[in-house]
Amino acid sequence: MDRPASVSAPDGQVGRKVQKYAAVGRITVRNNFAYIRSFLIRSWFLLVILFIFVQLWRVTFEGEGTSLIAGYSFEQIIWYLIFGEAIVLSSPRLPTKIEEEVKKGDVGYQLTRPMSYLLYHYFSFMGEAYVRVAVNLVLGGTLGVVLFGWPDFGFGWLGFLVVSIGSFTVLYVCYMMIALCAFWVEETKGLMFVFNKLVFTIGGMMLPLEFFPETMQTVARWLPFQAVTYFAAKSGVRFEWGAFGQMLLTQLLWIVVLSGLLVLVYRKGVSKLNVNGG
Amino acid sequence: MIATDPASAQTDRQTTARFSSSAPAIRVEGLCKSFTVKHKKPGLLGSVQSLFKPNLSEMTAVQPIDFTVEQGEVLAFLGPNGAGKSTTIKMLTGILHPSAGYAEVLGFNPWQERTKLAFHIGSVFGQKSQLWYHLPPVDTFELMSRIYELPRHDYHKRRDDLIERFELGEFLETPVRKLSLGQRMRCEIAAALLHRPKIVFLDEPTIGLDVVVKHKIRDLIREMNREEGTTLFLTSHDAGDIEQLCKRAIVINHGQVILDDTVSNMKRLFLTHKTIHLKLQETPQGFDLPGVEVVKQKGAGLRLSVDTAKTSIEAVLAHIVNHHRLEDVTIQDPSMEEIITHIYAQKGKEG
Repeated sequence: MDRPASVSAPDGQVGRKVQKYAAVGRITVRNNFAYIRSFLIRSWFLLVILFIFVQLWRVTFEGEGTSLIAGYSFEQIIWYLIFGEAIVLSSPRLPTKIEEEVKKGDVGYQLTRPMSYLLYHYFSFMGEAYVRVAVNLVLGGTLGVVLFGWPDFGFGWLGFLVVSIGSFTVLYVCYMMIALCAFWVEETKGLMFVFNKLVFTIGGMMLPLEFFPETMQTVARWLPFQAVTYFAAKSGVRFEWGAFGQMLLTQLLWIVVLSGLLVLVYRKGVSKLNVNGG
Repeated sequence: MIATDPASAQTDRQTTARFSSSAPAIRVEGLCKSFTVKHKKPGLLGSVQSLFKPNLSEMTAVQPIDFTVEQGEVLAFLGPNGAGKSTTIKMLTGILHPSAGYAEVLGFNPWQERTKLAFHIGSVFGQKSQLWYHLPPVDTFELMSRIYELPRHDYHKRRDDLIERFELGEFLETPVRKLSLGQRMRCEIAAALLHRPKIVFLDEPTIGLDVVVKHKIRDLIREMNREEGTTLFLTSHDAGDIEQLCKRAIVINHGQVILDDTVSNMKRLFLTHKTIHLKLQETPQGFDLPGVEVVKQKGAGLRLSVDTAKTSIEAVLAHIVNHHRLEDVTIQDPSMEEIITHIYAQKGKEG
């Protein structure tokens, strides 16, 4: 039969596409405000973690008898943890969400809409992540200010904000690749566990990479995990324009490489997809 | 009612012009789908074995099927659970890639041109929600308008029209979690219609609703078909939905089309039994007539099942009038539900 003409007008198509995904981000932000109280309560856990690390690092610095370890002061290392934990604890549980969508068959609704499944989830992920990161930064930041007073990070705040976009994007691409495994195996918790532990360790969440032995640092610098927490946290506490540009470039490179891989996995997965629910 | 402003009228004219072609809205040829299923023996050993040596088998969900759906038609797509209905719908909406065969929906290949097709189809899955749970329905409408790239003016007019027709005004700004199932379902259907889809896939749209709300939803669906010429592809286990909404039905079982006919023909062909409710003036001694079975008797009240292939209703009534003193009589057709059950059973045996 004759195909129906395109719904959208030829002019302003790019604008409409942008508005489409911006609307996804907006509605996710609004939806997450409904959960903000429960998230605030959960976020107290961040303070517990930070309190433990403050005690550990205090003892370490006292034991070393020096004001700097691997170039970081006690104050910087605590703020590094505040930034790093804020990123990790704000990351939406995408694989669990996708797994549920596949198991319950809700993925059907997403796929019958004129939009990119990957971009829809990206903007939804970012909307959720930034509501959470704001909460975590307020809580963690309050602790930091109480302990050390108002920090002097210069462009660090801006650096963290800009680099965090790349951090969450790299995280999204990795999470989505793990999540898409749900199209085949319907169970992704094991992969998620391994991935998160890599971010915690060689991704530099618990320790800046400078603390690692030389060989370990070299390995970590060739992997995408550093682009998630290390870059963002370091930009916050030790901002340097040169390093900032290099970090953004590295993030961009990883985003391009991993996104290409993601698209391949998605194409393969969607053709294999077995949507549950009768 | 439908909006009669010049902009809408123009859109309607365009719609009519686009669909002047007499080609079907949906054309399916030899479409089939099979899945690889992993079998696992019970116990821990079975789980370990399946890791190294998985026992796989091919399961056919849909055998090669053929059918067409005309523009503006309201089609019931029926079948018991696991018959292959949802798999077929998922292939027609482009969610699933078929194992073989061909399908064309509004001139698009669904699985190859899913995004293009998506602009012109809508879907309502009764057991799933597309509304954002913590937000009012109007927020989902706004999101839909962006997803379907509707011009703002067009969207506002359409939204207001649907709010009026579906009577959504009073709870439009109430979070979805606080709506009743009926209110939610009206919002679900309205959300699916915002972009004026040419085809709407309705999967169990009245499931779990009470009689009054079911009636309201059916009225709205009928109105959408009548006033906008929307083609409706309906899957339902509710006989009332089929009887009141559809002109034609396709029955599918074990992945095969077992019946493709008008609903009235279906009733006629499979309406081989009628029920007579009798109230006599005295308790009868017996009821010995070929093709007549006493289903229930309580004093002078009887329920008879008449096999119309063996005897006519007229002959049975004549016999009753001649041999008994009658107080009251009613003749009842079997319910749609009984007819469908009968089709599944009979065609299953033939299969």
